[in-house]
Amino acid sequence: MEYSEEVRRLFDTLPHCGELAAGAGPIVAGEAAELERGAWLRFEARLADGAIVDAAFRAWGCPHTLAAAALTAARLPGWRAGTPPPVDARSLAGELAVPADKLGRLLVLEDALQSLLRRASELQSAPPGG
Amino acid sequence: MNTAAGRPVYLDYAASAPLEPRVAELMCACLRDPALQANPSAVHRPGRAAAAVVAQARARVAALIGAGPEAIVFTSGATESVNLAVLGTVRAAPAGRGHVVTARTEHRAGLEACRELERAGHPVTWLRPDAGGRISAAQVGAALRPDTALVSLMHANNELGVLTDLVAIGRACAERDVPLHVDAAQSAGRVPLDVRESGVALLSFCAHKLGGPKGIGALYLRRRPRPALRPLLFGGGQEGGLRPGTLATPLIAGFGLACEIAVGEIVKEEPRVRALRERLWAGLQPAAPVWRNGAAEPSVPGILNVCFPGIEGESLLFALDGQLAATSGSACSSASGEPSPVLTAIGRSELAAQASLRLSLGRHTTAAEVDAAAALLIAAVQRLRRAAPPGAIERIA
Repeated sequence: MEYSEEVRRLFDTLPHCGELAAGAGPIVAGEAAELERGAWLRFEARLADGAIVDAAFRAWGCPHTLAAAALTAARLPGWRAGTPPPVDARSLAGELAVPADKLGRLLVLEDALQSLLRRASELQSAPPGG
Repeated sequence: MNTAAGRPVYLDYAASAPLEPRVAELMCACLRDPALQANPSAVHRPGRAAAAVVAQARARVAALIGAGPEAIVFTSGATESVNLAVLGTVRAAPAGRGHVVTARTEHRAGLEACRELERAGHPVTWLRPDAGGRISAAQVGAALRPDTALVSLMHANNELGVLTDLVAIGRACAERDVPLHVDAAQSAGRVPLDVRESGVALLSFCAHKLGGPKGIGALYLRRRPRPALRPLLFGGGQEGGLRPGTLATPLIAGFGLACEIAVGEIVKEEPRVRALRERLWAGLQPAAPVWRNGAAEPSVPGILNVCFPGIEGESLLFALDGQLAATSGSACSSASGEPSPVLTAIGRSELAAQASLRLSLGRHTTAAEVDAAAALLIAAVQRLRRAAPPGAIERIA
């Protein structure tokens, strides 16, 4: 199995891996697991002023999956409801040189990401105090 | 935390053992010596010189398993030896006697040879091991039929290291006059092995698992009663017509010396390596939960197969890359590697099989390497578990 330098770097350091500490701003989470596909991901994001300001992930999967999760968490800050997701399976596959037979794992990541963004959108559109 | 020489800790002896320096020297000398370049089958003087080298090596190889040199057929390795034994025996059996008994936990060489027979219409009984990975003589006896042509089993399972009771199974086969073929690739040179005591009719093994070169193996073929065998290859009359082709003098010489070294060191090495394996197992306990796959005994000394619940196998190997050489619980090392059929056959889930690692030790493994390997594994497992979603240990098991 070949791994790009970027996959190696992200796997070795796993930036944004863990959970967000309680603090200012609500935290939302999104999760997806398809163990038979080899991926289980959970994202957390903190919201402030209608945007994601911090993000973290936990993931079980191959090095490509963990690297993709780290990259996704890094790209989440700045996202606002109504805008496209910061990454998708295809862009991650290209950026990290993920083999075609692992695309299914990135689709699981996409599911977890969409779940997170949906919850973030719902929270932002909810009436204050509602 | 590599070895002092900066190399990864090598715990993959079950895949291939490092070439013994004395074997390498002998092979190099053999390759350089103009007097040994002739075809060992030739009748001229250089040919006879090469033949003498082959004859000495054949005796050394035979001595490893308690056989006479005339019972040894050189092949390109254990895979060819297993194929020759399985396909050759069944194809040589009388009409109406083509049933084969084997196990689901065999090495792919045996599995695929038996599947090939199945495709050709031969019935095959696939024995299922117990949770420890063992096949019993009672299972084999119950599977034998009037039309059984061959029983083919591994002596030591290549993934678990668990040993089969050859004497008991050999007795069950002898009572029904069925030849027993044994794949001893993982046990020859690692535990004492004597074909005279076991009733084995055919036995496959190779050089590179015991410190010899890759590309050379052998099939032991019992002399009395001699099992009928049809060759897979045709051409010259070498090896009694059973394996034609010019004999590879340097490889055979290296194989012979590796066998002689193993015979001389087995009494000392077996308990030493077994103790190191148990040291490794004890050293891994801080990574709990960690499970041992397969029965601890009886086994070859150097194989430890462990499962780390909550871990993804490819990530574990990647985390160890460059520091520790081992084999994952996948059938192959590809990204989409199927879980090991051996591990699933003993009852592990597919996820647990993929969270498993075979660590295999050998003649050059040291206590310091074992301790370093344990520390590397613990650090990698704990890091990956911290990265996984909550509940992964319970679900990935």
